[in-house]
Amino acid sequence: MLDKCAPGHTIRRTTHARLVSFGTRVFRDLPKFDDIELGHIRKMARHFGIYDCAKQFGII
Amino acid sequence: MLATEPTIDLKEHPIMLTLQDTISGNGFLARITMSGRTLMRREDDKWWMHGVRPAGITASGGNIEEAFLRFRNRYKEILFDIAQESHTFKDFASEVERFFNESDADNEDERQWECALAAIRSGASQPPTLFANLPRRSPETYPSFIKIERVDANANDVRLMPSDNVADSYAYSSPKAA
Repeated sequence: MLDKCAPGHTIRRTTHARLVSFGTRVFRDLPKFDDIELGHIRKMARHFGIYDCAKQFGII
Repeated sequence: MLATEPTIDLKEHPIMLTLQDTISGNGFLARITMSGRTLMRREDDKWWMHGVRPAGITASGGNIEEAFLRFRNRYKEILFDIAQESHTFKDFASEVERFFNESDADNEDERQWECALAAIRSGASQPPTLFANLPRRSPETYPSFIKIERVDANANDVRLMPSDNVADSYAYSSPKAA
């Protein structure tokens, strides 16, 4: 989904989470140890302004 | 006999929160106090606390208390991560401010927060009983802010006082402006 909706994004692991960067925005709240829930995907999509694109993948 | 307008149940709940943390960094100790905004809503059979300010954080729970506690813990872990990455206090303060002030690109949660507050204030909606025990707080009286202070021995002009201590709290937005 990110490859299509957020081209050029990067993901790296911090001590407590996955940090996703896209353009000038940073999302620091993608879980690293706990399950990634739909709410995390929805929030990340809103944070990056890619919600409509993400919906096309049927996961949110 | 006067007819009364029916009220509708709110799906989105405007919550205000206050948190304070003391974080150890690379050669510094920082105290971070923030007054923020979150939107609570029921999704996927859970309660979600979605950040509005700071926006880039969300947490779920089986009830509103659990959602708050998990949100609170995630917020602290994000501060830990920023401290880990920051070489100096200045770097840390700059990134924490950026994190706190960076809104969602689509601003949807913030728009819904404002709509929910307006619905409560118009009298068209009532908070459900689940939120009855939460204190009420006015956004006008408690504007959102973040304060980042260096409080170690190398800090300049910092007086440490018991009155600086702030308890974690969350509150439902007040139905009337103060």
